[in-house]
Order: sequence, then structure tokens, then C-alpha cells
Amino acid sequence: MRATRRIATALLGAAALMLSACSSDDGSGSDDQVTLSYAVWDQTQKAAMDQLAADFTKGHPTITVDVQLTPWEGYWTKLKAAATGGDAPDVFWMNGPNFQLYASNGVISPNPEQVDTSVYPEALVDLYTFDGKMYGLPKDMDTVGVWYNKTLFDAKKVPYPKDGWTWADFQDAAAKLTDPAKGVYGTAASLSSFQEYQYNTIAQAGGYVISPDGKSSGYADPKTIAGLKFWTDLIQKKHSPDLKTMTDTIPLQLFEAGKLGMYWGGSWDVLEFTGNDYTKDKVDVAPLPKGEKQATIIHGVANVVGAKGEHKDQAWEFVKYLGSQPAAQILGKTGPIPAYTGTQTDWVGAHPELKLQTFLDAVNYAVPFPVSKNTAAWNEAELSHLTKAWSGEQPIEQAATELATDMNALLAKE
Amino acid sequence: MTTPRKHRVTEALWGYAFIAPTALGLGLFYLWPVLQTAYFSFTEWGAFGGHTFSGLDNYERLVHDPEMGRALVNTFAYTLLGLLSIPLAIVFAALLNRKMRGVSVYRTFFFLPVVTMPVAVAMVWRWLYNGDYGLINYGLSLVGVDGPNWVADPDTALYALVVIGVWSSVGYNLIIFLAGMQAIPADYYEAAALDGAGAFRQFFRITLPLLSPTAFFVSVVSVIGSLQLFDLVYVISGSGAAARANPAFPRLQTVVQLFYDRAFVTNDRGYGAAIVMALLLIIVVLTAIQFRLQKRWVHYA
Amino acid sequence: MPDKGRRIGLHAVLIVASVLMVTPFVWQIVTSLKTLSSATSVPPTLLPEGHWANYGRVFDLLPFGTQFLNTLITALARTVGQVFLCSMAAYAFARLRFPGRNFLFGLFLSVLMVPPQLFIIPQYEIMSDLGWLNSLPALIVPGLFSAFGVFLLRQFFLGLPVELEEAARIDGANPWRIYWSIVLPLARPGMVALAVLVLLWSWNDLFWPLVVNTDPDKMTLAAGLASLQGQYQTDYPVLMAGSLLASVPVIAVFVFLQRQFIQGIAQTGIKG
Repeated sequence: MRATRRIATALLGAAALMLSACSSDDGSGSDDQVTLSYAVWDQTQKAAMDQLAADFTKGHPTITVDVQLTPWEGYWTKLKAAATGGDAPDVFWMNGPNFQLYASNGVISPNPEQVDTSVYPEALVDLYTFDGKMYGLPKDMDTVGVWYNKTLFDAKKVPYPKDGWTWADFQDAAAKLTDPAKGVYGTAASLSSFQEYQYNTIAQAGGYVISPDGKSSGYADPKTIAGLKFWTDLIQKKHSPDLKTMTDTIPLQLFEAGKLGMYWGGSWDVLEFTGNDYTKDKVDVAPLPKGEKQATIIHGVANVVGAKGEHKDQAWEFVKYLGSQPAAQILGKTGPIPAYTGTQTDWVGAHPELKLQTFLDAVNYAVPFPVSKNTAAWNEAELSHLTKAWSGEQPIEQAATELATDMNALLAKE
Repeated sequence: MTTPRKHRVTEALWGYAFIAPTALGLGLFYLWPVLQTAYFSFTEWGAFGGHTFSGLDNYERLVHDPEMGRALVNTFAYTLLGLLSIPLAIVFAALLNRKMRGVSVYRTFFFLPVVTMPVAVAMVWRWLYNGDYGLINYGLSLVGVDGPNWVADPDTALYALVVIGVWSSVGYNLIIFLAGMQAIPADYYEAAALDGAGAFRQFFRITLPLLSPTAFFVSVVSVIGSLQLFDLVYVISGSGAAARANPAFPRLQTVVQLFYDRAFVTNDRGYGAAIVMALLLIIVVLTAIQFRLQKRWVHYA
Repeated sequence: MPDKGRRIGLHAVLIVASVLMVTPFVWQIVTSLKTLSSATSVPPTLLPEGHWANYGRVFDLLPFGTQFLNTLITALARTVGQVFLCSMAAYAFARLRFPGRNFLFGLFLSVLMVPPQLFIIPQYEIMSDLGWLNSLPALIVPGLFSAFGVFLLRQFFLGLPVELEEAARIDGANPWRIYWSIVLPLARPGMVALAVLVLLWSWNDLFWPLVVNTDPDKMTLAAGLASLQGQYQTDYPVLMAGSLLASVPVIAVFVFLQRQFIQGIAQTGIKG
């Protein structure tokens, strides 16, 4: 079977040579000139990445960097296909849910030398450490806040959320903002982004998603369930649209159409809400309310080095530069919150009309993003089970317990 | 040196030359892949490629996979209900099968959905079906009915899907039936008219029986097509983990969508291969059954 | 008089049906010209509002021009290539005698019986081995070959008179000359029918483009449009604008080539 496929491939390969205008430079080129490929997924950061690449080349004249943009929808499929074929990019963006899969399969390289990681949030350093080794360096970070529609608050004479507010304050505001006649809800208990919703309330309730050793699920824990119940209660009280409504029109669009008082969203939503015609002069942001404790999920993207690249030394140099203070300052002017401590003032200053400092203050009580070697597998299970509780088909306790059983089985397979 | 023999050899060589490109392409891209898929269905794939022989594991998993069970039920239900398009198409073909002003305009309207990109069709319908802001529920509200969230409600999602399927295929079937009707000799009708048969009797006594071979053909093709439903569902419910946040997802999932999810989202190619092998089996069996049943209702002149 | 009444009834039925067929398109156009806020107002406004910015958004969010070209090039290349290659093979099966002809034809037909999903994983692996993922050849090459096209055109060729070909053969013309200058011109209606179907199918196809080309600059419109929904899930005005832009070209072609479309389908009865 193999042999035939190889012949077939060879035949087609010949055809391919004739067809494609041969544009591949082998990277090594002449005079030790090296070109690194750098894969990223965010269109809005492309310009900043190009600028960083150019700045790096100034310091390293023999190395040029080719920034390759693949939007989020296709990024992981494409990366996986490339890694399967042994030609992953030299340097690329990595996220938490995928990290351990790539590290455990030897697709990315652990850092060849120890660097000072105290300049990055600890949760992010932990996130990108596998089997005691760190892979790559954090690039940016994001935390979660409550975006709220000031116009709707004013209309109902509800005071704006304050620092240190609690679950009870939040529930109270949600109740007051809800106005069935106008189709307005206090908030939306989204099921489409655990990072912005469930994981936060689980941590706030004192529960956990996955044990620190990554071997067992926390979904059967009563405190975890309390964190989930926070949301299902809101749906039951009709202070949030039901799951069917949120499927037909997602919470982000409900918020942007003025149908939601409060929307839990990441720091990356700054671009969305300042660019949207409806929200740009109507919203502000507050910290997440306190449950048993105050908590937000922190996540961030890291730059990592492909394990099979030809220029791993140069790639590591580039990653070190991207993790440096000057690079963080360039990034902070246009992009997300840089991960490097002390470089975030530009990001906060970009929109003085919004209390963006909220997202930075949240780092102090941030908890890490829950991941394991095959995060995707139990992410699917989370949805399959919790959908039943969100739609009211099952009590939340039952759905969460069944999820824990499934998730434990999946974790055992890792 | 015998000319006929030489002639035959040259003709054969020409023949091979003529079919060579297509034969090579079909062999490489179609025939060989079928064998490979069959082989893959007995393998397990790693996250980053490479596969190992795993015997019947995938098939065992297939039998116990609740998602596959649901996908099969949904796919069968969609296929069966989708056959509604056939009687509708016959009725409208009969209405349009006459010399009358506006026939070509009506025909164009029926045909528009057929040529529209299924992705676009699904998007438009998803919007029409929106529970709060959709046109359909607005229409219903005018007569005092509070319509559901059609494609997010497990009770209605599958039927909503069928409506889109019928809406977009009726024009296509109509064209085939029109062609079939136009092939019926006019003297059959004239003779019937002389015997005093009215339009309805003519339709049931002449048109329907003589159209039955066409109807058989259309039903075979439409069953095969429905069993492969993908585009509509992909747009209406999405795929991968995100799609599972739709409470109606268990009623929307189809076999080919599950194949896409497993083969290309979670990269479980071996399991994906097993899913489509099962699909092949289903199509073969259902087509065979249809050929069996045709004796009971298809009249060949 | 009853005849006239029946005629009116007939038109009434057909008009109602036509309204059902056309309303989704009308609503698509109307919504594409609204803002999100007004699209989600209750009760809805039924008239368009001239919010053309949604169309601009589509061009911001997708490399629409590039995807349009990708789709066009793919559709044209597949159509021309498939009609040409299939007509060659079909001619051989219809007119030339060679050992194994029936067996080979049977083999070709067997491809027709298999649901296309069975080809996809290995085809993807081939594309990956060739380094063709995210390229136009990946979209085009597998679509150049079609058992269906061979079958369809062979049927058509069998229905053509043989006298001209016989005369040419006696004059010493070789099969290529006969095929090229006698058969092809006669077979134009059959080839146009096939071409129209391939064009339609190739323009609208989703699964294969979705799988092989994940790079937006290499996507076809169907896949691009689906990805637009991935990003802008339920921003319906933008989605309506995008879906309209993507489907209008084929609808326009259909209006021009309506007769050929309908003939093609009536003759073959098989989609793509």
C-alpha cells in the first residue's frame, strides 16, 4: 500500500513541479542568511508582528522573519497538518488548551537555556511548563471583566458596578436590568466560552476544573457545582436568555444590540466594543464579582519554537526578543496586554474612557487556565453534558457529576 | 502485415490513449482512496499523523457511540421526510405543464433555490428561523402564535432542516418531472378525453403511472443525496466542540457531519474512515431495498 | 367561464408557491441593508434601510476579491478540464474497440456508486504529501476527473449518428481527428449540459474546499462564507450581505443560461 502511494505521490509530484511556479527558498540561502517563518492568528496584530520582525532584524541582520497570518478558524488545523508533515513554522503562537498536546508529542522545543521568568505572571509561566520544562515565552495576557451597558443601567437607575462587588450585587443588578417587555436581559449565561464564564465562577466558588496533577476532574465537587449553578440560576430566573435564544443570537450580538445589561468578556473585547457603532460610547468595564473569593481566569499566548525546524538557535533568539521588554512595549501600543510586567501602561492609556486598569488589577487574584495533555477531548465533553443542564433537561448536579465521570475516563486515557 | 489486425491494434492503442488521463485520475483520486479508506477504518491515528493497525476497534466504538446512533436516526428521519419534495414537485410540475402565460417565470422562481449556494441558503434560513427576531415567528405572532426557536429547539430542529431541504430541492425535481411529463405522448390524453376523463382522472390514470419510473429515479437519487447531508447542518449548527452548545445539536447532527468532526476536527481519521464505511453500507442497502420495492409501484411502459 | 375560474385558481396557487420560494431571498436583501440593532428590533421593520456598510464589512472581514477569483478559477478550470477529459474517455468507450473496454467502463461506473466522503481522507493525504494543501491545484486537480461525466457523455455520444465518422475513417482520418473535428462539434449540447452542472457544483461545493484550504487567501467563497459565520456567528446583517455576494454570481449565470441548466438537469437528473 505504502509503495503504491509513494509512486502515486511521485507521479503527482512531477506534475506539481511543472504546475507550481517554484517559489520555495530553502531558508538557508547564501551567506548564512536565515529566514524564519512565524505563524500568528490575529489579523489585528499582524502589523505589530511585522514591526517586531523588522525590529528584530535590525539587531540580527542575518535573520529575517516572515510573518504568516492564518485566522483562528483555520490556524490549528493548518498547524496540525504542517506539524504532521514535519514542517511546522520555526516560531508560532501557542495557547493553553493546545500546549501540552504539542509539548508531549515533541512538536515544540523546550527552552535551551534558563531565562528570568519573574517578569511574567506566574500563572502563565506555569501554563507553559510541561514535565518541569518551560516551552517558549509568554507574549501577552488576558483576564476577564464585566462589560456593562451604561445606557441600560441609567434607564433603570441601577448604580454602576463597583470594585469589590459580590455575586449578590451582580444578581441584584441583573434582576433590576431585566425588562421582558423590551426584550432586555440583565446578563447572559453563555455556554460558548468557559474561559469568560464557567471557569471564573468555578474558581470564585472555591471549586476547580482539573486537579493540579492534571489527573482528575473537579466537576463533581460541590463547590464547582455551585460555580455552575450561579449561571443556571440566572437562566431559571429569566435574568439571562435561555440557551435556545443564545444559540439563535449569541450573547455578544445581544449585547451589541442593546439587549443585555452586562456581558462577561475578556480584555481582548476592547477592540470589539470600541470599534462597534452601538457600544463605543455606551459601555464600560468592572471587575468580576466576588463569590467565596475573588478570581478571574488568566490566559495568554506564548511564542514557541518548532522542534523540527532547521534554525532552532535563531528561532530561540527571536522568541527571546519577543519576550523582551522593548518588544512588549511595541506590542502594548497596538495589541493585547503585553505579558511583560511593567509594560502595560500604553495599553491602559489607549482608551482613557474605559477603566482598563481593571484587567491589570485582576492579575493579582488570577487563576490559571485549566488544561491537560488532551484538553480538547474533555472540552467537548463539558459542552455535551452541561448543555443538558443549561437547557433545563437535567439538574446541574447530575450533569456535572456525569461530566466528571466522562472527563475522568478521558484523563485516564492521556 | 495483415491490415485488419494492425488496424485493430492501432484502434486499441487509441482507445487506451483516450481513456488514459481519466483512468489515471480516477484510479489515483477515487478508486485507490476507496481501498485506502477501507484500510484506514482498521487503524488508529496519532494526533500528529502516523497510524497503527487497530483491528476492529473503530467499528466496536462505532456501535457504542451514542453520537453515531443519534446521527443515524437524524439522517434517516431527514432522508425519509425529505422525500416529501417528490409529491410536491409532481403536483407543481403538473400545474406548470401547460401552455400558459408566466410558466417560465414561475419555473425560474422554483429553480432559484436550486442554484443558490447551500451555505448561503442555510444562513438565510437560520435567520428566518431566529426565535426572537426571525421573520417566521414574526409572521406567526401576527396570528397570535408564539413560535419556537426553530433550529435551537430539539423538538423542531430536524423538521426545520427538512423544510430547508424540501424548499431547495423541489425546483430541481420539478424540472425532471416536467421533462418526464413532456415525454408522455399527447394522444394518451386525447384518447382519455374522448372517453370523458377529466383533468384529475387523467392525472391519476395517465400521468402518475407513466411518471413512476422518473419518480423512482428521483427517489433513489434524493435518498442518496439526503444521506450525505452536510452543508446545511454545518452552517446551522456549526461543528466541533462549539456546535455542542446548541441544545438541539443532538437532533441536528448527521452522519457526514460526524465524519467531518472526527476526521478533520479531532483528527481521528481511522474512526472517521469507519464512519464513512458504515455510510457506504447504508447507501448500498437502502438503494438495494428501493430497487426491490420498485416492482410494486413502478410501471414501465 | 369555469375555465377562467380554474385558471385564476391555478395562478393563485402558483403565486403563493412563488412567494414562498422568493421570500427568503427578499428578506436576505432587506436584512443586509439593516444595522444589527434594527435587525433585532421587535416588531421588525419590513423595508430596507440603506445601511450599505454591511457589504463593506464583508470585504474587511474576508479577502472577498481573492476568494471570488479562487472560486472562479477553480470552477472554470474544473469545468474545462473535466468536460475535455471526460469527452475523450467517453468517446473511446462509445466508439473505439479495445480489450478490457467493458471491464474498465464498469470500473469507472463503480466510482459513481460510492459516496464521495470515502475519497476524502486519502485525497487529503495525497494533497498533504504533495505539499498542495492551501493551494489552488488542491481545489482543481481531483475535480478534473469524473466518472459521472464519462457516463453522461458516453450516453450522449451513443445517440449521435455514426455516418459522418465512418466517412471520415474511410478517408483515413485518425480517431483524434474524428473526435476533435466531427464528434465534438456534434456533441456540444451534451457538453454544455455537463459544463453547466460542473460549474454549479464546483462553485457551491463546501466539504472539500473546507478541508484542504484553511488559508483564507486560498479559500473558495463557500468556505470563506462559512468561516465568516465562524467569526461573526450571528451578526445577521453582515452574514446576509456576505451570503448574497457569494451566491449572486451563480444566480446571474443561471438566469442567462437557464435553458441549458434545465436541459442539463432534465437529461441527467443527477446533481454534480
